[in-house]
Amino acid sequence: MSKPGPPKALVRFFKWYCRSPLQESILGDLEEQYFEDIGLYGQAKARRRFTWNVLRFLRPGIIRKLEGNRKLNNYGMVKQHFKTTFRIIKREKLYSLINILGLTAGFSIALLTLSYVYFELNYEHDNPNSERMVRITTDYLDGGTLIDQDCETYHPLGPMIKEQFPEVDEFVRAYGMNAAVVRVDERNYSAQRIFSVDHSFFDLFNYCLIRGNIETALTNPMEVVLTKSTALKYFGSIDVIGELVWSSTTRAEMKVVGVSEDSPANSHFKFDMLYPYSLMKETLAKRETQWSSNDTYTYFLLNQPDQYGQFQQSLERLNEKLIAEEKIVNERIISQPVRDIHLYSHKTFEVEANGDARTVYFLLGVALLVIVIAVVNYINLATAKSLDRAKEVGIRKVIGSSRRQLRLRFFIESFSINLISGVLALGIVAILTEQFVHLAGLPSGFTLLSIPMFWVLFTAIVLISSFLGGLFPAYTIASQNPITILKGKFSNSSTGVWLRKSLVIFQFAIATFLLIQTFTSIRQLEYMQTKDLGLNSEQMVVIKAPATGTEMKNFGPFRDQLLSQPAFNNISLSNAIPGLPTSMMGSTTGINLIGSDERHSYNFFTYFFDEHFIPGMKMELLAGENFREGVKQGGDVIVNEEALRLWGITDPQNAIGRKVTFGDESKIVGVLKNFHQTGVKSNHIPMVFRHSYNWGVYFSIRTNPGNIKDQMAEIEELYNANFNSPFEYFFLDEKFDQHFRADEQFQTVFSTLSLFALLITCLGIFGLASFTVAKRQKEIGIRKVLGASISQIISLLTKEFAKLIIIATLLAIPVTYLAIQNWLEGYAYHIDIQLGLFAVPALIVIGIALLTILSRTFQITNTEPVNVLRNE
Amino acid sequence: MGRTSYLGEFEELILTMVLILENDAYGNSIVKAIKEHQNREINLSSVHITLYRLEEKGFLTSKMAGATKERGGRKKRYFQITNAGKALLQEMKDARMNLWKLSPYLKFSS
Repeated sequence: MSKPGPPKALVRFFKWYCRSPLQESILGDLEEQYFEDIGLYGQAKARRRFTWNVLRFLRPGIIRKLEGNRKLNNYGMVKQHFKTTFRIIKREKLYSLINILGLTAGFSIALLTLSYVYFELNYEHDNPNSERMVRITTDYLDGGTLIDQDCETYHPLGPMIKEQFPEVDEFVRAYGMNAAVVRVDERNYSAQRIFSVDHSFFDLFNYCLIRGNIETALTNPMEVVLTKSTALKYFGSIDVIGELVWSSTTRAEMKVVGVSEDSPANSHFKFDMLYPYSLMKETLAKRETQWSSNDTYTYFLLNQPDQYGQFQQSLERLNEKLIAEEKIVNERIISQPVRDIHLYSHKTFEVEANGDARTVYFLLGVALLVIVIAVVNYINLATAKSLDRAKEVGIRKVIGSSRRQLRLRFFIESFSINLISGVLALGIVAILTEQFVHLAGLPSGFTLLSIPMFWVLFTAIVLISSFLGGLFPAYTIASQNPITILKGKFSNSSTGVWLRKSLVIFQFAIATFLLIQTFTSIRQLEYMQTKDLGLNSEQMVVIKAPATGTEMKNFGPFRDQLLSQPAFNNISLSNAIPGLPTSMMGSTTGINLIGSDERHSYNFFTYFFDEHFIPGMKMELLAGENFREGVKQGGDVIVNEEALRLWGITDPQNAIGRKVTFGDESKIVGVLKNFHQTGVKSNHIPMVFRHSYNWGVYFSIRTNPGNIKDQMAEIEELYNANFNSPFEYFFLDEKFDQHFRADEQFQTVFSTLSLFALLITCLGIFGLASFTVAKRQKEIGIRKVLGASISQIISLLTKEFAKLIIIATLLAIPVTYLAIQNWLEGYAYHIDIQLGLFAVPALIVIGIALLTILSRTFQITNTEPVNVLRNE
Repeated sequence: MGRTSYLGEFEELILTMVLILENDAYGNSIVKAIKEHQNREINLSSVHITLYRLEEKGFLTSKMAGATKERGGRKKRYFQITNAGKALLQEMKDARMNLWKLSPYLKFSS
């Protein structure tokens, strides 16, 4: 029967401009006239006349003043909504506490994780050039199959590519020098990260010199640039231009020509000291034009960031040309954007151990899941509570609240609680940042609070979470008919119950997923830590051999003095040590068996050791024998099992006496059982060892059980008595542990996240259980009166939740299976997926959840029925 | 003459209409009455503006009442003439009559 009213937009427009005391009567008149007009002239004309009338009212006296003295916003109402919210928080302490605790925990844990993710994703972003920078690397091929990837390439490639590729603006080469001893004022220091670089380095990597002239720095061979902290370490000052440092690399004095800022923590290329590239030509007789060794890092700056595709194509053509010219054999030069290096590049000879994109995105996902779980808690409790809230809504409606105002009220409540939690979370983040930075391996002093992006994220998280939290109550409760509500007929809608059930399932599925994943990562870490390394890394002290040949003459006396003490039972000499990065070793491609037709170009790693090395490390010889003391064995090599595998020899005995193309040719005298040269995370690598006394870089000392401090003091005393170089040492087992430091960090961060996820989930179900139990008090009272036993009541109350949790677990398991399978494949040696990996965490989740629910139900079943029933 | 307020022609018309309509004087009824008695189309907005002006001057009072369905349940603002208003109308009428009396045409015809 209702006739179409006047155009709504116009009415709204009128309300907007008209002074409020006049509004009602005028609008009434307008509408009355409108309906009369419909009768007289028909609807179209009535609408026209209405429009005209509304417009005619646009005159002084009717239009509200710009800054009216009458308040026309609903500020007062909003204020009142905040007030009621805080009353509710105060009145319903448990409910508010659960919400705030859950959200605070969720927010703070997520914000901390996001800071880690942010740091990892922003690698190289401090350098504006990085967007246009690429690195070229070498792939080793065997026919069509990729054998190995090396991030270093040949020296001539840099200038050659700059000249031939129109899209390349500039190149820079960086040759990684061995760690050196640096002497300043008769004091020795060890310098780790030294590179010989082209002058364009400063430009491309965006460094400026805080002392010295950047135009001329590193143009002469015997110059050196220090970083600020290196300068402070050596000289205690940064005003060091013109000072001299003696370096064991050149065995000569070098002049300091510049001091640069320290390398930013978020750059993959960090250095302590820079030499000029020309140094290599002059002093080390290195090959500007030689294609014999690929051992330099090469970077290019493109003209435009979008030219990367073009660069790759040019590189394809160059590869074909180089292969045709036989400059490269069984190799291929490929490229990677510099910004991808940190997260995606895992090649041999990386400048530093890189991060892993998978881990970063995985943690990002988990952080979001934790927030989601916390928000779900809020939604669950809010819908469960809607019954209580319905009366308030009914009264508000009767008094005259509009639906929109009521919705606002629920959003304000959600916003208040989220805001409180957000502020608390900020406090927690501020307090925990330092510990977290340490735990996650971020640079010290890194803080999120100074990053604008953090605040954007923070605001977004709080707002989105408020919105989601308020959404359901706002749209279900606020839409109820006040009469039904106030008559007490309102009950939880079936959508509400359905929503709540699915959310509980969702939460527990996530919690189970996270816990299984955590459990797997703990087991995998345990497996790696206890895996047989093929050598004994315990009780092994490795010390740096002295830097100069003259000092090495004292090795004999040092050795004798050391072994005369009962605490030490072996000392050996070698130029590389298991557990150190592959870059410490030499490598040669394509060592092949003589007398076999097969030709491969696998990358073999090589180093030298003396005859005490194998027994000292407790490695196992499968066939043949060790090098012999005092015998020149220039042509003899010991190889490992992996090398035999590549050569196609199955029985180690058959390898003895075979000759290989290493040096001119070498004879295999022994086969070593595989040992984990590069830690248990990576595959075994093919290795060939030579005998030498002259190439010692490390002394490995096997100590007998005893007081390690006394032993170290003795070693140091003897070392200082015989050598001038600084005494440096490490324990071999610690070096091996370093390989899974990243895994340990990941595991700790991840376990913490999962733990919180589980905690928040349990908090939610605790709240939900309390609520359900409170609602059913009377029912339980009656059941008890009628003779139900306590166990019957408990099972009645628990069954509902238990069902949900078991469904959740069953849902989680297949997804988790795929996830952990994928995750474990990232490890060369990993545990098998067994039932226990799922069963234990799943049972833990179910157990904890049931305990939580029981703690609530048990309380209620113990109350006397009389207490709950007498008030009827 | 001690009059302090002057009314325009339209104001006088509206004030008169409020007087005539007695207890049923609100925006729409006035528009309708003017149309009926004077065959004059007047826009609602002019009526409202004038009513408010007269109220401000103290010749009218108003109260809200009488919601009906045709008005979307909104109340009407009923106007009533005050004694000052009545006196002013009377005065204006008398003044006009006095002037008319001076008209020679009127004299001749009477």
